[in-house]
Formats: sequence, structure tokens, C-alpha cells
Amino acid sequence: MSAAVPPTAAVPTAVSPARPARRPRRRIRPRTRAARWLLGALAVVVALVWAFPIYWMVSSAFLPTARLRTPEPTFFPFDGTLANFRQVLTDGSFYASFRVSLAVTGLTLVFAVLFAFVAALAISRFRFRGRKAFIVTVLVVQMIPAEGLFISQYAVLDDWGLVNSVLGLTIVYVAAILPFTIWMLRGFVNGVPIELEEAAMVDGLSRTRAFFRITFPLLAPGLVASGVYGFLQAWNEYTLALVVMTDPGERTLPLWLQGLVEANRATDWGVVMAGATLIAVPVIAFFLLVQKRMSAGLVAGAVKG
Amino acid sequence: MRRVRTGGLAAAAVASLLAVSACGGGEAAEASSDTEVRLWLNGTDTPQELRDYLKETFEADHEGMTLVIEEQDWSGLVPRLQTALSSEDQTPDLVEIGNTQSPTFTYAGAFTELTDVYEDLGGDDLLPGFVDAGTADGTLYAVPYYSGARAVFYRKDLFQQAGVAVPTTLEEFRTAAIALQQANPSPDFSGFWFPGQDWYNGVAWVFSNGGDLAVQEGDRWVGALSSPESQEALAEVQDLFTNATRAPRDADSNEPWVAFNNGQAAMFSAPTWARSSIALPECDKGVDPDDTSPEAEALLAEQQACNEEITGVFPLPGEQPGSSAPVFAGGSNIAIPTMSQRQEEARDLLRIIFSEEYQTMLAENGLIPGNSQYADALGDDVYAQAALAAARNAKLTPAAEQWADVEGARILEDFFQQVASGADVAQAAAEADRLMEETLN
Amino acid sequence: MAAPPLPPETAAPPRDPLVAEPVPARPVPPRRRLPWRSRLGPYALLVPALVPVAVGLGYPLARQFVLSFQEYGLAQQFGRPAEWVGLRNYTDLLSDPYVWGVIGRSIAFCLVNAGLTMAIGVTLAVLMTRVGRGARITLQVGLLLAWGTPVLATLTVWQWLFDSQYGVVNWLLSDPLGAEGFRGHSWIIEPASFYLVATVIVVWMSVPFVVFTTYAALLQVPAECVEAAQLDGASAWQRFRHLSLPLIKPVLLIAGLLQVIWDLRVFTQIHVLQKAGAPTRETHLLGTYVYSLSREFSLAGAMATVMLVITLCLTGFYIRRMLREEDL
Repeated sequence: MSAAVPPTAAVPTAVSPARPARRPRRRIRPRTRAARWLLGALAVVVALVWAFPIYWMVSSAFLPTARLRTPEPTFFPFDGTLANFRQVLTDGSFYASFRVSLAVTGLTLVFAVLFAFVAALAISRFRFRGRKAFIVTVLVVQMIPAEGLFISQYAVLDDWGLVNSVLGLTIVYVAAILPFTIWMLRGFVNGVPIELEEAAMVDGLSRTRAFFRITFPLLAPGLVASGVYGFLQAWNEYTLALVVMTDPGERTLPLWLQGLVEANRATDWGVVMAGATLIAVPVIAFFLLVQKRMSAGLVAGAVKG
Repeated sequence: MRRVRTGGLAAAAVASLLAVSACGGGEAAEASSDTEVRLWLNGTDTPQELRDYLKETFEADHEGMTLVIEEQDWSGLVPRLQTALSSEDQTPDLVEIGNTQSPTFTYAGAFTELTDVYEDLGGDDLLPGFVDAGTADGTLYAVPYYSGARAVFYRKDLFQQAGVAVPTTLEEFRTAAIALQQANPSPDFSGFWFPGQDWYNGVAWVFSNGGDLAVQEGDRWVGALSSPESQEALAEVQDLFTNATRAPRDADSNEPWVAFNNGQAAMFSAPTWARSSIALPECDKGVDPDDTSPEAEALLAEQQACNEEITGVFPLPGEQPGSSAPVFAGGSNIAIPTMSQRQEEARDLLRIIFSEEYQTMLAENGLIPGNSQYADALGDDVYAQAALAAARNAKLTPAAEQWADVEGARILEDFFQQVASGADVAQAAAEADRLMEETLN
Repeated sequence: MAAPPLPPETAAPPRDPLVAEPVPARPVPPRRRLPWRSRLGPYALLVPALVPVAVGLGYPLARQFVLSFQEYGLAQQFGRPAEWVGLRNYTDLLSDPYVWGVIGRSIAFCLVNAGLTMAIGVTLAVLMTRVGRGARITLQVGLLLAWGTPVLATLTVWQWLFDSQYGVVNWLLSDPLGAEGFRGHSWIIEPASFYLVATVIVVWMSVPFVVFTTYAALLQVPAECVEAAQLDGASAWQRFRHLSLPLIKPVLLIAGLLQVIWDLRVFTQIHVLQKAGAPTRETHLLGTYVYSLSREFSLAGAMATVMLVITLCLTGFYIRRMLREEDL
């Protein structure tokens, strides 16, 4: 595959981090203004269609439950209420769960990215016995369905006294995320030519310093991309959290949301939708924050995969 | 240097995360300390007042011990029990379990034998169907905690308009439902809200006709939907599906009050607590949910009164006038996990739960207590009377070891849906019987 | 470090000899014999990843595999000894024609969904390169929302949208559009229509990942080449087919592989739709079927092994290709 790829695409092009970054020019100029307008309108329509279920969720969060399923749907909650949001935000368990989720997601993110990065470094910068076996294992492990796995995972954590602990949940999350992350980061590390480091070493830098000065910055998008993937996985995971965190004081947000469904014998869906909206906010914020980098990150890794 | 700063930031982030996790999860590791007894209750059925009573009473009897009540969600209960009950450190000391889940865990050896305390806890006054669900090979492992009964909610005004009286037999119920639907020709109107997968309600016809879901023959379970009694009942069920309901075939028994609240159903059958979910548009006083002023509360009370004025409730009638049908009972059992290291304390807690005081409190909160002797405390309003009548005659699913697998495979949902879709009842029943036998044996 | 993705053109004219060389994607083998400490180095780097994977995934997976040769259910969990049954779990499963039906349906569902997801994803990614900034960001945010919102809420909303009696879909079709036949239409009661709804939901959830990946890949197609091709008179389609497509092929391959893996084991969407009122037995896919066996851990373990084999078959071409490249 690499034969067809010009070097420009195969190598992250930042030779020296000092070189100023320029925004890419728009490359494809549609023939007419009208055509671009039309395509732009199309994009907006697609966006609206795609976001419609989310709109419906947010709109429901402003309505009392009795108005959610009626013969005439309510498209705009103009006369809605903030009571659902108020109920969630005055509920202490939301903040407690938020904290647990934040801790688990944060720790998972840090450890998964760090460990995957180091492992990716090993398999693409070194030749050693067992390397190929490792790569194949990483690939195959992702293909095994994990639905029935929680029994054994629980047994392991229980032996070590890690049930109902953030650390225990973090371990199983890190394990679940690592294979994909290693695979992705390996592509990034592969993509940074070792000659760059060696040139820096010729200039008198130590190997470690050369690595951190030259290679590491080029991997940032890859690290961010893996981080986003890990963030989503850990933030929204339900099954493992369910069996590991049985103490009501240690619930993650997805468990809390499920608890909201059962908080009344007849589910108060307006409140559940308000809760879900609030859970989604940090995800979207995190996304928007790193989104530009991430899209570049995903590619660079993948191209070299 | 930029690099240094990034590194510092990352280190700070890790440190703060560790700090957060430490305060979030620190104590959990020592949770099963020596002085703690843990009770798992599911959902919000047990009111706070009862939890407080348990805690105070138990701790007064056991100097220096603490009772910790942990609320679990019904939806995630089975995976949690599958894991936690097998761990000496994590198992609760006393656990509430759904009555249909009970046989699975009972047969698996998850619970301690309770035969020795059976008489202390109420003996033959304990709800018999639930005792069966907690018995494996003749040994008692789980006892009834409470039961909730179903009743039929109806619109008095629509009954009047259609010239229909409250039915006193199952046959009358069917004709009433059909008449109600005919009197309201709107294409979305149901005489009786009866969605296609609602086997919880459908099975009442089977039970009251003397049929069953599955019966034990020797050490084999045999599907009983094909029996003549069941078949006769199922023909009536199909008639209801065809002529008395416009509820979707692809819906289940969840939230049956939605159509009723939209004015599109004259009757629905649900657990008696569903009364609080009834909100008819004509009674809506437009109170802002945020408003807590006395005026708003007065309006809400008026609204509730209006709802209950228009809505009536009766137990599903049986074959004979004045009798009530053996409806499907929901509810739960309670048991002591084998792995618990606090067997004696757990037994003491069980005795508190089965004391007259606690059982009466359950009844006062609208739950049918495990010991039927105390059910009179349910009260004498129409809801309580309907609940009581329904509960006296309630019936459970077969107490088979693998019954939970039948529910997991949703065999009965599929079967009733086929009946609702106009399938040949005998053929569909034969197939469902075959699937049940495959699963149960 | 702030190292924004550099646009292709900044490096296009290869001046610096360091970058000019088409750099081999292979790591350079060590040139001299390293001291033993350095030879242990790579293993030391693997340890942090190996430990959690071995503990959290490796051991449980191995145990699941071993259990698949035993009779192991809930009773064994509480101390009853597990009996070895050899291949019985496998023969039980694979001799049941129903299971083969489920496998066939799952493969078909997986291929259709992965294919649709890729097609729509790539189309939208191309669309993104052709529109103004405002439109692009609107589209990105719309897709991000679908990707990041809690599944419990989005699936509940989808259920409401397709609800027979009070669903917005039926309302739109019958009221403003006048298709009376859709009043009270049951979307999930027929398997074909059930899979249609499931496909809509699955594709809705997976497309964003593909769009973002592909869009980023397209950004790296050198502008110079595109402009040159344009001057040579190549049509937009020709430019995409002969210029962009070969360049983004590696990305598409990986994204497609992941879609196949994920769509073959699709669980949540199917499970939720089944609970909403679909006929269960006619709509099972592998993921939900394995789940319905989950009280029989040994049987579920056997099914997991079968699924692994299917996945390997479906993706074999890609893995072989990757291994060949590793051999270089």
C-alpha cells in the first residue's frame, strides 16, 4: 500500500516542531457559488436529521412525563418546565456519581493512554522475540465477545479485594481499552521516522531527550485520539460497572441514570431525559475541545497501520 | 519549556485524579467490617419509614452492630446476584429477590436453608405461592417478603356512556370490553388496553380456566398451554385481542396507563400502585411542577380527587359471579445467602421483618405482606379491597429451577404476541410448550 | 505539546533530505549488539500494558474458553463441582439449526450495516470537504451528539420515535403526509421491518466514527495533486476514485474492520428493541442470543469461541495482509 502513498501523506510532516502551522487551504473549489450553497444546505439538513433524536431527548427533558407520549407529539416545549433539571441538580447522588465517573474515566484515560503508548513504542521501535505474537494477540483479543466475561472478571477483582473500588473498575476498563489503543498508537509511532531522532542525537541530545523533544510532540494527536476513544468507553460503560460497583454510594453515571429510571415505580421519563442531557454535556464539551486534533490524530495513526 | 509544563500538568492531573478516587472509593475496601450486617432491598417499594424501623430495631437488639441497607435496581439485579452472592466479602447478609428469579438461585445453592425458622416466621400463614418459589427439592430457602396485586382500572364515564356495568365474571368482562370498544369507534381506542406481549395479564385467563403455563410430571416439566383448559382460555384471550383492544401488538405490559391518560382506553390492568400514574387531561389543573405553594398543593389534591372520581377499580373477576380471577402475582422473596458470615444476625433480622409490627407496616403502605394474617391492615378503600381480593387468589409462575430462563428467552411474550396476531392458537401453544420444555428440563 | 496537524502542502516540496526519503514504515533494526539491559528494554515497556490486559482480559478470556468444555452454570458458581463435557457445548450449539439461522442472520446484518455505515460515512466525509466552515461544524456537532449521548437515553428516544401508537414517525407519515396506512403501524413486529429499524439505529450510532476518521484522512490528500488533476481535466468523481481513494484506503480498511467486529456482536440496540415488543426468537442476533444463554456460562463461552472464529473468517484477508507486512 505504501507504494502509492507519497511521502507527504505517510509522514506527519512536522519535521521540526518549530515550523509554524498553517491552516490547510480549501482545496476543492466547487464550480459555482450556488453548488457550494446547495451542498452546505445539504450538510445542515443532514446534521439536523442526525441530531433529531438528541433534540427529542432534550425537548423531552423540559416536559412533564404525562406529556411525552400523546396522540399529538409536542415538537417544541415552549410551555415547558425546568422542574426535571432542578430535580436532578438538587439530588446529591448526581454529584456523587459524577465524581465516581470522573475518577474512573480520568484514571482509565491516563493509564490506558500511558501504557498503550509505552507498549506501542516497544513494538514499533524495537525488534524482539515475541513481538509478532504480541501484535497478533492484541488484534485477536478485540474480536472475542465479552458479554459473558464479567463473571470471571469479578472473581479476579474479588480475590484482590477490588470490588466496589474505583481502582478495580479502572483495571477492567484499562484492560478493555488497551488493545485498540495500542494498535492505534503503534501506527503513530511507526509514522515518525527514527532518523529524526537520530539526527537530533547527532546534534548532541541524549536518546531520551531526543525522543521527548522530537518524536513525542508528533504523537500528540494520536494520544488525543486514543484519549477520546477511551473517554467515551469509560464514561458510558454499564455492565461491568453494574457488577463491580454494587454499593449505592459508588455508582457511576450510567448506573445512576438507570437508578433514575427505577426511582419511581412508574418511571419519570422527563427526569431521566434531563439526567441524560446532563451526562452528555461533559462528553460533548470534551469532544469540542479536542475535536480538531482528534480528527488529525485518527488518520495519522491509521494511515500507517 | 513547553514540554516541562505539559509534563507537570499531566502529573498534576494524575495526582488530583488519584485524590478524587481515594475519597470516592477508599472506605469500600473495608466495607465488610466485623460489625456490619448488610441488607439488599430492590427498587423503592420499601418506604423509608420501614427502613428506619428495621435499622433502629435491629441495632437496638444488637449492641454495637450496624445495619446497612443498600438499594439495588431491579434491572441489574441478576448479574449482581450472580457475582456478589458467590463472594464471601461482598455478599449481602440478607437479600430481596424477585419471585420469578427465586427458584434459579434457590436451586443453585445460593441460599441457606430456612426450614428451622419457618414456624417462627409465620408458618402456613406465609403466602403459599411464594413459599413454593423459595422451595427446592422440599427444602425451604426463601420466604415471601411482599406481593403486589393487579387490578383493573376503568373510566366510569365511558362505562356509563356505553351502558356497561362493572363485570362480575370473566365472561362479562370480555363482553364489556368489546362493547366499550364498539361504543368508541376512534381508530386508536381500546375497550381494554391489552398489548400483544402482555402475558402478565393474559395468563389470568389461563389460570382461571384451570389451565397453567407448565406443570411438573415426575421430575420433568411439561408445557401446559396445549391442555384443553388452557386452549379454551386462550381462545377467549384471542377474542379480546381481536375485538376488545387496539393496543399495538408490538408493545408489552409497561406503562399501560399512557393510553388511558390519553383518553384512548376504557380499561387497563396494572399493579394497584398505578393509581398514582393516572393523570386524565380533563382533570389537569395546569399546576407548575415547581410550584410548592399551598394553593398549588390544594389544586393538586383537587386534581387527584378528580382523577379518582372518574376512575374506578375492580379486581379481575373469576369464572363464578363474585369470585376473583387468579391473577399473576408480582412480588419478592427474601433469603440469606450461603456465603454470608452473619447467619445468626441475618436470622434475627428476618424475625424482625416477620414481626407483627413490620408486616403491618408493609400492609399499611399498600403492599400485601408475606404473612397473609396481617393483610387486613391494607385498609378498606376500594384500592385496598381490590388488592386484597386479587392477592387472595394470586398465582405465581411455575416454581421450576430454570423458570428464569423461560423469562430470559421471552418465550411467553413471543407466544402471546402470536396469539394477538391471529395465529392458530393450538399450533402456537404447541411450539411454546416445546420451547418451555426444552428450557425447563 | 501543541503540534497541530500540519497541512500537507507545508512539507510537499521535499527539500530536507531527512524528510525527502520515502521513510520506511518499519522500525530500523538495532545495528549493533545491545547490552543486555537494552535487550530487556522492550519487554519492560510491554509490562505495564500486559499486566492489566492479562488480569482484566487475558485470564477471564482463558477461563471462558476452559469453561466452554465444562458444564458450568449458576450452581457451579456456588460450589457444585464442574463436570468436564468435552465438546458437548459446541455440538449442542452447532447441531441446532436455529443457531445456524442466528449465525446467518448476524453475518448478513453485520455486512449490511458495516457496508451502509462505511458508504454513508465516506459520503458525509467527502461532503464535509466541499462545504463552508459553518456548515461543516454544524454537521460535525450533529454527528458528535449522536456519538456521545448515553445509550440508555438515545435508545429510549428511538423507541418512542418508532412507537406504534404515539410514535413521531407514524404521526409524521399519517398526519402531515397523509399516509393513513401508517397510523398505528407496528414497526418491529415483522423481522424484516425490525432489522430495518435496527439498521437505522445502528448506522446512526456508528457513522460519526467513520465520518471523523475519513474526513481527517481526506484532509491529508495533498492539495497540489488534486489541483493538478483538476487542471488535467479530471472530473470530481475521477479525482476521488483515482486520487483520494487509494490514499485513504488504509483508513477505510481499519474503520471497516472495526465496523465488522462491532456489528457482528451488536447487542444493546437489538436487546432494547426486543424488549420494546419485538418477537424475540425471530429477531435474535449472536449478541442477544449469547446473552440469553448467560446463565449457562459454559454455553455462552462456547458461543463466544464460535463468534471469534466467524470474526476471524470475515476479517481474515485483512489480518493476513497485516501479518505479511510485519514479516518485512
